[in-house]
Amino acid sequence: MNRGNRILLSCVYWAFVLYVFVPLILMILMGFKDSKFIGFPIKSWTLDWYTGIFADAEILSTLGYSAAIAVLATLISVAVGTWIAVLLEGRKFWGRTAIFGMTVLPALVPGIISAIAFRIYARYLGIEPGMGAIVWAHAVHNVPFVVLVVMARLSTLPKSQLEAARDLGADPIIAFLRITLPYLVPAILGASIFCLLLSFDDFVRSFFLGGYEPTLPVLIFAKLKSGMSPEINAIATVALVLTAAIGIWAERFTRRMNKDTKA
Amino acid sequence: MSNEAASRATQDVDAHTRVGRTFWGRLSNWSPYRALMGLVTASPRRQFLILAIFPLLWVLTQHLGPMLQMVRVSLTDAYPVAPGVEQHFTLDNYARFFGDQIFWQPFFRTLIFAGGFTFCTLILTYPVAYFLARHVSRKNQMLFLLLLLIPFWVGEIVRTYAIMILLGNTGALNLVLQSLGLIDRPIPFMYTSFSMGVGIVYLTALYMLLPLYSALEKLPRSYNEAAADLGAGAWTRFRRVTLPLTIEGISSGCTLVFLISTGFYATPVLLGGPSTTTFAETIAGFFHVAGDEWPTGAAFATIMFFAALVLTAVFQKLMNALRKGDTK
Amino acid sequence: MSKLIFNRRRFLGTAAMTGAALASPAYLRRAHAQGGEVNIWTYNDFVPEAFKKQFEAETGIKVNVRLVDDQGKQFNLLAAEQPNPSVDIMTVAGHRFLQFIESDLLAPMDTDRLSNWDKINPTFSESDWSTINGNKWGVPILSGMEVLSYNTDLVTAEEAQTWDTLFSEKYKGQTAYIIQDMLSIVMLMKGYDGNFIEYADDHEKAAEIMAEIQQFMIEKKPLVRKYYDSGAEIQQMFVNQDIALGHSWNGPAAALINDGFPLAMSIPQEGSYGFVYTLNVANNAPNADNAYTFLDAMLSSPEIGAAMTKASGFISTYKDSAQYLTDLEKKSTSFPEEQLANLQFFRAEQNELKYGLMDPAVEAIKAA
Repeated sequence: MNRGNRILLSCVYWAFVLYVFVPLILMILMGFKDSKFIGFPIKSWTLDWYTGIFADAEILSTLGYSAAIAVLATLISVAVGTWIAVLLEGRKFWGRTAIFGMTVLPALVPGIISAIAFRIYARYLGIEPGMGAIVWAHAVHNVPFVVLVVMARLSTLPKSQLEAARDLGADPIIAFLRITLPYLVPAILGASIFCLLLSFDDFVRSFFLGGYEPTLPVLIFAKLKSGMSPEINAIATVALVLTAAIGIWAERFTRRMNKDTKA
Repeated sequence: MSNEAASRATQDVDAHTRVGRTFWGRLSNWSPYRALMGLVTASPRRQFLILAIFPLLWVLTQHLGPMLQMVRVSLTDAYPVAPGVEQHFTLDNYARFFGDQIFWQPFFRTLIFAGGFTFCTLILTYPVAYFLARHVSRKNQMLFLLLLLIPFWVGEIVRTYAIMILLGNTGALNLVLQSLGLIDRPIPFMYTSFSMGVGIVYLTALYMLLPLYSALEKLPRSYNEAAADLGAGAWTRFRRVTLPLTIEGISSGCTLVFLISTGFYATPVLLGGPSTTTFAETIAGFFHVAGDEWPTGAAFATIMFFAALVLTAVFQKLMNALRKGDTK
Repeated sequence: MSKLIFNRRRFLGTAAMTGAALASPAYLRRAHAQGGEVNIWTYNDFVPEAFKKQFEAETGIKVNVRLVDDQGKQFNLLAAEQPNPSVDIMTVAGHRFLQFIESDLLAPMDTDRLSNWDKINPTFSESDWSTINGNKWGVPILSGMEVLSYNTDLVTAEEAQTWDTLFSEKYKGQTAYIIQDMLSIVMLMKGYDGNFIEYADDHEKAAEIMAEIQQFMIEKKPLVRKYYDSGAEIQQMFVNQDIALGHSWNGPAAALINDGFPLAMSIPQEGSYGFVYTLNVANNAPNADNAYTFLDAMLSSPEIGAAMTKASGFISTYKDSAQYLTDLEKKSTSFPEEQLANLQFFRAEQNELKYGLMDPAVEAIKAA
């Protein structure tokens, strides 16, 4: 491989890292500003915003609430999305295009429209606003992303494997669980990260389908009404550090798992 | 994946199902399970129906339902219906769009912006994905990818305000440029198409990066080596080998980014200027202002939706043609 | 932050002292027997936390607050919940009443059930906008107004005496405004009635005027930096020095002043509009009795009004609440008499005519 190319590419990569991280660093920095507003110049620093957050039970419970919603919605999306992907990938049948079209639909509807449509539909179905309704809306909204990612991976599964397993008498369910599913694990992990992100960051659906307990973005929007304060930045930083920690732990964990299975 | 792996997998299944000592073996020998399987797999047709019934019900009730509600609302003259008011069927809401030019400008602007930003995102992220997939050892790929994902855990709004304090007149960028003596007066970056672009690419990069990465990652490195052995230069190798083989990733990334960016609301509103109004903003206006504007908002959303869909279909056709042309 | 906690503590202490007055009336004891809950949709910092805790402790009524961030969303949400809303009390601005009333979303306010109704400054409780269809519809709590805010390092107080400065070449690219609100103000600048009451019987004239205003705004478009929507946006523009002056609501500007930013507000000589946030009882509210108990308790002490002002920057509607404010807070929430004389309230009567003309104008200006 050409050395110059390689160096050039790595420069592009690190420039990109810089681009995505600079706003992040500014955000973290502002969480320590001793003022009610973010921005330069910073005249004095404080830790009060952080002590305030950890003293405020509401903010902490909001974090937990958002995380619980994201995890539940992701589990549902992954299960449903994988099922749909298995049905659609590599099979030709009447109405396949129509089902595929309907599958990706929720990802394409603008946020506010989808939120109101969900709200009307929830009422029609008799779903009470609250955690259940938010989980439901997030799950439905995220299914298309799972389907797309899983289908892409599924299309590269060597057919010979499944055929061989069937020849040896494995029924479809066992063949799926023993061959297809393990092969899909990277795609499912990737899709899960995606779903968690989408759900954790969703404001408009959470707002319309929520009850009296706010999710994190809903709380942030409400606080924004009285100004973008360092407090909001501090909350976002705490959320970021927690999720990054979980992410790194998960990465380590899967790596160790891989090693163990290899050994 | 190779034949070797396949045969290992089959050996696995082979061993477990026959010996019957493992969980899987016991399960497949357990008579209620066998009876169930017998029912399920009685014929390929029944097997397919059982596989298909749940996804079909799900997409019909969960995916199509809310959309149909929206289309229904777009065809009425009043929603939500006040007591004592009768609701009528009407096409006026659609006529309103086609009858008034002031709506066309944000509409076409949105489509053009979405296309432009999609292209920018592609140009920016392709080398990043390429570097990740081809030059980072497999062991570290996940880590490098996760590194890029970290900033996306910060909500859209907080991130957008962070961009404001990056690009503002007293923002970080102007401060740096001034202290380096490159400029005397701050450059007004904010509230222009530039600041909007910076914000939007931030939002879309992820959706482009992942499909590109998975397409590039699948590409066997040996292809490139073979081409190099034949004396092809780096650029030729890229154009003749890598690009055509990743066109599927490019196509799905662009489709995703294009469709999603037509729906962006908060970021363009916060970072854009007086002349960058998007159609999503127009639509949201109908839902914020007054109750009886819901049908108009719903109609406009339907129009936007179908326009984006048609453009995507054209784009996909184009990409397919390109791919076929290349393999010839 | 530390300041905020200190204020809160002080408020808690004094609230406990005045608590005797709050707890004694019979309505509270009756409510205590009822228990139950009350559901409120309101903005962040509008219901003081200390008051909420005290109210819950004394009445046994659980207060569920759902934070909202604008009027339109409350309307959409409530409309989607009809006819059986989950909410008892909402927060609507007075000039937006009509939209809610016409969709049958609000219940008329029975002021006889509020023994503390007369603790509200009559400027707000008996104003022209507050009575619609012969009924009162809400309890006024905070007052906002459309003001000219300016960075005192860059703009002089004299320049801020007229809205014209906002459209001058001198500050090209350094101004911002909320386009909808600005349309009404420009009408005042040109000597028209931004409430459209005068044109109730002459829709043609109204349309002519709006066309003129639209033309003016399009001509001045090259001068403006940003059409913005929320208070947080203009605060950020001032902090980043992206703008030198702009039209804003007094609340967000007051918050910047209280934080020590070199900012001032004026009500220019051409006049301006004010509006009032009110708490309203929803039609078919599930806990209407508790809602009234809550509203009455909220009005009981001017100190509660002062706490709301401190948190939001908007002006309290309570009589005598200013005595609980610091000097800086007083400064950021008061205006000279001669400026206040230029102020009038937004009215809702002709909203249909007004928004029917304004909404397309807004689209046209943005598209131009």
